[in-house]
Order: sequence, then structure tokens, then C-alpha cells
Amino acid sequence: MSSRAVEVAKGVPPLAPEREVVWPKRTKERLSNGLQVILAESHSIPKFHGQLIFLSGNAAAVDRAPGLAEITATVVRTGTQKRASRRLEEDLRRIGGDLSTEAGSDVSAISFTGLSEFAEPLLELVQELAREASFPEGEFDRERRQKLEEVKLNRTQPGFLASERLRQVLFGAHPYAQVSPSEAQVAAYKRGDLQSVYREFYTPQNALLLLVGDFEPQELFKSVEKVFGSWGGNKPAAKTFAAPANPRGRRVYLVHVPGAVQTQILAGCHAITRKHPDWIKLGLTNTLYGGAFNSRLVMNIREDKGYTYSPRSAVNALRQHGYFSVSAAVRNEVVAASLTEIFYELDKLRSLPVPETELADAQNYLSGVFSLGLATQDGLLTQFSTVAQHDLPDDYLETYRAKVRAVTCEELLATAQKYFDSANMQIVLAGDRMQIESQAVLFGEVQAFDAQGNSLQS
Amino acid sequence: MNRLQIPIEHKKLANGLHVVVAPDSAAPVVTVGVYYKIGFRLEPQGRSGFAHLFEHMMFQGSANAPKMQHIKLINSSGGVLNGSTSYDVTNYYQAVPSNALERVLWLEADRMRALKVDDENLKNQRDVVKEEVRVNVMNEPYGGFPWLDMPPVAFRNWANAHNFYGDFADLDAAHLGDVQAFFKTYYVPNNAVLLLLGDVKPGEGLALAEKHFGAIPAGAAPSFADPSEPEQNEERRGKVREKFGTLPAIAVGYLMPTRRTGDWCAMALLDQALHGGRAGRIHRELVLEKQIAVEVDGGVDDLFGYNGPTQMTTKILHKPEHSSEAALAAFDVVIRETQEKGISADELQQLKVKWRSDYYATLESGRGGYMPKYGLMHLLACFTLFDNEPQLVNTILDGFIAVTPEQVHEVARKFLRNEKRAIVFRTPAKNGLPAGAGVQEVA
Repeated sequence: MSSRAVEVAKGVPPLAPEREVVWPKRTKERLSNGLQVILAESHSIPKFHGQLIFLSGNAAAVDRAPGLAEITATVVRTGTQKRASRRLEEDLRRIGGDLSTEAGSDVSAISFTGLSEFAEPLLELVQELAREASFPEGEFDRERRQKLEEVKLNRTQPGFLASERLRQVLFGAHPYAQVSPSEAQVAAYKRGDLQSVYREFYTPQNALLLLVGDFEPQELFKSVEKVFGSWGGNKPAAKTFAAPANPRGRRVYLVHVPGAVQTQILAGCHAITRKHPDWIKLGLTNTLYGGAFNSRLVMNIREDKGYTYSPRSAVNALRQHGYFSVSAAVRNEVVAASLTEIFYELDKLRSLPVPETELADAQNYLSGVFSLGLATQDGLLTQFSTVAQHDLPDDYLETYRAKVRAVTCEELLATAQKYFDSANMQIVLAGDRMQIESQAVLFGEVQAFDAQGNSLQS
Repeated sequence: MNRLQIPIEHKKLANGLHVVVAPDSAAPVVTVGVYYKIGFRLEPQGRSGFAHLFEHMMFQGSANAPKMQHIKLINSSGGVLNGSTSYDVTNYYQAVPSNALERVLWLEADRMRALKVDDENLKNQRDVVKEEVRVNVMNEPYGGFPWLDMPPVAFRNWANAHNFYGDFADLDAAHLGDVQAFFKTYYVPNNAVLLLLGDVKPGEGLALAEKHFGAIPAGAAPSFADPSEPEQNEERRGKVREKFGTLPAIAVGYLMPTRRTGDWCAMALLDQALHGGRAGRIHRELVLEKQIAVEVDGGVDDLFGYNGPTQMTTKILHKPEHSSEAALAAFDVVIRETQEKGISADELQQLKVKWRSDYYATLESGRGGYMPKYGLMHLLACFTLFDNEPQLVNTILDGFIAVTPEQVHEVARKFLRNEKRAIVFRTPAKNGLPAGAGVQEVA
């Protein structure tokens, strides 16, 4: 409901002919131990970026404890059979390297970057972490305590509280519902549980090694063979989970943050994975709705009404399921007004075809931004990693832009009707209950929680 | 040992606008930035937060590209854009497929020539900025720590000591006349640099810059308030209440030596010795060894990008069962060690390799992977506006590689002194002690 007519620009220079977008060639190899290796050249700086990805994350260990793959990844970095923590960190600095270990719902990963001249010693260090992490008792105790403080801190952040609640609402009994352990669950972590996860997940048959940067692929592959060749281990048993129930009817979940001077709105519904044939159409519909600065939602609640600084919508793809979400941090007085506009724009896309010019703008945006990743080693790695993690076809990057440009206005309307499920959107509000509850009840039955996830009386 | 040489063309147009081109045709992508030499440090008194509010106004419309058109035209060309305000510069930047280069230049020239905004735009963006402050500071645990907490404790000159995000009363007081005056004073071509990086040929880039920016009239050379500080001869301390978090936090800031001196290079490496990740001495001592702190980081915020008094700052979040004085005492042990023993040749060698590696990463770094060459743009802009020497991008590394252990030892004694530092204690309103634990006073 834009209150002001939009004026157009005068005298804009036309676009020049496009230069062809060429993704660097990927060299794919597999070691005899099962490790998949993907290498690609990019000579922008004399460095390289890499990722050793294990295709098991928190979801695969949630039956043992939430966040177990994550704490395992954290402690992996604190010592090996050969090197204590301090030595590890100094050796890394000596070769100009950076390294991080982390786990999400679907994967665990060691990410690293370093100078090309020290590629082999960095690969050796990564290999040591993947294979010979020693889980020193003292380091485990220390990291567990740090995790406890992190969990406490997270529960004071409105953005975290909203996303944690939304995942629980959307995924129920499915492991994707768990984004963080409770304090009690962290306190109960045992070193032996981490070691079991490590033995099961960190194997060459469960891993992908991606390398992008300033190197000659055949030469670096020889280093990879030398460093990782004698590593052994099997694929962990695959785990399947029952599909989560899709919540019906619009409901409101209020996470009470006493004293909050702003409310974090986060609304969402089930959507699709990256492998789904509608993925690109949904990405385009999302771009138009709230996925870009020049989107309807941003125009409306930021540039027209000034309710919020950073409204956005997103399609979130996990490996087995996906969801669509809309978020905005708004001042307390305009929670209802903002939700009204959020649903107005969703329903408008579900009801009226998008003008051709607006579709073309969104297509240009999505295909242009996609190719910006070409310009940096990190951008390339991110794209290759997405393709590998989501098991997308080999020509995914090469065909993406053409697929974006082939979408029609009719398809967009059908996509919005199918996935912008406004009647069944689950609404999470993280804010001060006393100040916003009277607005919340206008949008559905309200359930209130405290920051620890306990139900509050109405 | 610097293996990376960036080709650079630099020209000053007749109206005083610097143009810098750094060609690289590897990907069909070009990054375009315009930097103005004014940041929040020297914004008008009584108008705290105005430089940043003004940055928002630059997206609200110009003579030929009314409200939202700049954003729409960049996005619909396949590009991304943003702006940011810092101490001494404000930047506007976009990364686009290279076929949109001329369009971007037209847009940036249009808003440099003729910003066209009204009261409604100002009211709208004032509301947006207030929500930005709420989401980043007022409603966020440790929001603004220590970048907004430290200045009023550490500094005496209003320029360095005020609230850079802005008091809401000052934001409310700002009117359209302020916007016009600020634009006229600081947003003149002779106070700016235009940067073209990536898929552009130098001759073509310079010609397009001349075509779109050449006719913008120069303005009077802006006069800048003096940002210098009276000499500091005593330790300064302040307290701030933490509303949401439960861990006590401490920030310690030491004044940095003058930019681009030998001391400055040595301090930058000492900074890495202290704060360089998990191998850094403060992390090692406070988090890994003594386990007083949960989280430690710090350093100089933007080593190449400031042009006035600046600190090297350490941030410590410590466990509630230790007192803040105990945490500070443990920190002081680390500082004292560098003053007494310096650092070894081997440690310095490690730091230099890491420094070089980090420098390359800075040049390439995008913002979130989608703003290629953001770091290169930032360095070229600051070296042009502050030093009139964009080529420093290719030579500045030499000064750091030449630092000796003796120099590091010397700056530790000279600059890490209590009478040259300021400390902020951010104290939680809520008690975060584990059940049954008392505060321990041992370090």
C-alpha cells in the first residue's frame, strides 16, 4: 500500500552487451579411500580456499544430544595426537593460514584458507584434524563451559530466539527443529560422545574436499593424494526421519523478552529443497517479494513507512526440507501494522500477476548477483560447496542463469500461490509481551514462551 | 616478499575529483565506489549521528533519478549496492556485471551533482535510522560495545568523543536545511574519489569518468575542525550498564602512534601478537590458559582507514565468578610481558607471514562474498584521500615486513602505558553466576 507514486529515472544509459559468464573448470577426482576431491583455479590472489565437508551434522546425532556435531567440531580444533592446541595455532600462523571447524544441521566442515606457497603444510594440518584429533580432557571441559556461556548469550538475542522458535514450530519432532542445545544439555555433554561422533562422521567415504585458488590442479592433487591417501574409514549408516507435520492455520508464538525496545518479527512456512524443480521459480518469487533491496516488502515497510531498518525474506534450504521466512525488526507500536503489510504483499503476489518489467528486473538481479561470486576465490568456493552439499547436477552453475530467465509471469503467480502459504504462516514475535500482546492476538491464537522455551500462562 | 602487484591508474579531473582505476578482467564484474572525505568524527556539533543519517539521504533521490531509482537500477542491472559511514570517510559502492558500468557512473554522478530530497524523505529515513540503532545497539546484548562506549571515556575533543550513531534528540532536530548545507560543504568533487575496480580498461574508465563527472562544478575546499586531542597523562575509566547479557565485559584502548610511521607499523604487528586469533597472546593467556575469559578479541578497527586519534582496543568477556579487576590484572600480565621481554624473532616471523596472507585477503575480500574487491577499494580510497598516493596499496606492506623485534619491544614500552589508556567496564544488570558460585578475587 504505497502512499506515494513512484517516479522513474530520466536519461539512464542503456546496458552494454553482456560479457559471457564462464565458470572455471572443476577437476573432479576420487581417492581410493573414497574421498571425493574437487579442484578449481582462480588466480586473483596468491592464496587458496578450501573446505573439507563431512555429510553428517547435528541432525544425524540429535538422538544422542542436540548440537553434538557442533561441539565435536569445536573440540576437533583443540589438539591432535601430534600437536597440542598452542602448537597447532602457532603452526597455522607460521604458514599464514586461517582455519575454522563447525557443524550445521546437515554437515560438519573444516574450512581453511592460506598462502599458495604453503598449500601442502596446510593440507597436512587439516588432515591431522580430520584423522587424529585427540579431544584433550582439559580442552573439552573448557569448550563445554564456553558453549554454556554462548547458549546463555544466544537466549538474550531477539533474532536468535525468533529463529529458534520458528524452527521448532515448523519442524516439530524432526531433528531440524533443534537449532541449539539447552544449558542442561550442554552440561551433560560427555567427551566419549564427541569421540564417537568423530569416529563415525569424520571418514573419507563421508567427505568431500573442495579447493579453489592460485594453484595448478594436477600438482595440488598430487599433494592431496600424498596427504590424504592413507586415511581410512567407512560411511556412517544413513539415517532417515519421518517428514515433519506441516502446521495448519495461522498462529502466533510470542517469545517474551522483558524490556525489549523493538520486536523481532519472523514468520514462515514449509517450502522446498534446492533439488526441487520449483527451486529457481521460488527464488525469483522471493527476490521480488523481499529478497532484494528493490523488493516490494522493502519498498513498503522501510522506504515508504519507515517501520524497520532491515526487512527481508528468504528461502532456506536444508538437505531434506526447506522453508520460506519473512523477518523484520520493528518498533513496538507498529507490530500489527507491519504484519498487515507483510501479509498484504504476500497475498498480492498470490492474487495478481506480476508486470513483465518487474519480472525482468528480478531476473536480471538474480542472474547478475549469481555471477558476482565468480570474482573471488571465496565466492567460487561458496558456489561449488552449495552444489556439492545439495547434490545438484554438474551443470547447475552453467544452466542457472538461463533457467532464471525462462520463468514466466504465470509461473510466478502459480509459485506464489503454492508456496507463499499466507493462511498457514506461523508467526513468531520476540519482544516485550506487555507491549505487543494486544497486537499479536489480531493475527491468531497466541502462545507465549520465555527465553528458555518454557510456556507462559496467558 | 610481496608477490601481488595491483595495476593502478590515477588521475585528477579539473574539478578536483580523483579517479582511480584498477583493471582486472578475470571476471565480468566491476566494483564502483565513491568515497567522500567526511565521516562521523567531524559532523556538526549538536547534530550527532548526522553523517550517517545523511548517508541514508543519498539513497533518497537525485535530480534525474528520483527516490528508489538508484537502488532499482542497480538491482535490475544484476548488481548489489550499499553505503557506510565511518570515522573519516563515507562510502557508496556497488558491484555489477561490467555491462552496467556506464549506468552506475551516471547514477553516482547524478547524486554528486544534484541530491534532490524533501521533508518526507528525511522523516522516513530518520525512522529507519532509529530502527537501525535499536536493532544494532539498544535491543542487542553488548550492542555498541565498545565502539560507542569507549569514545566518551577515552577522548576530550567532541569530534572523537561523541555518539557517532546519534542521540535521538539530535536526529529529531535535524532538518532539511542541514541536509542541504552538509551536501554543499562536503559532497563536492574536490572532496571525493571515484574508484573503478575489475572488468574495465583504464582508458575507457577514465574517459567515462570525465564524461559523467567532468562537468560537476568544484566547490569551495571544505574546512575541517581540528580532531586532535590534548595529551593524555592519566588512565581513564568509565562504566556502562549491560541490559541483556550476563557476562561482565571490559574494553581497554591504547592510543595508536601516528599513521604511516615506523612506530605505527611496529604497533600493527604487536597488535597481531596480542590479538591475532587463537594464537594471540591475550586469547592464549585469558581464554586458554587462565580460563578467566570466555571471549577475547580486539585490535585497530580499520588500520588504513582512519585519519585522526585512534586506539588499539581489546575486548574481554569474562566469567562472572572472576571480578573485573582480576580479569584486568590477567590482561596486564600479558601487556607487561611484552614490555619486559618484547617478542622473539621467531614469533615476529610468524606474524609477518600471517600479515601478508591477511593483506591479500583484505584486497580481495567481498562483503559476504558478494562485494568483490571491497577491501582494495577501501584502501585505494583512503590512500588517495588521506595521502594522495593510491600506489601505497603496492608498497605499504614493505614497512610491515621491515619491522624488527627491537621496534616491537620499543613500541610496547612507549605506547602500552596505563596513562595512555582508557578502560570501559560494561556491567550486566543481571547476575550471571552459576548456582552456588561466589566471585573469586584471584587472578
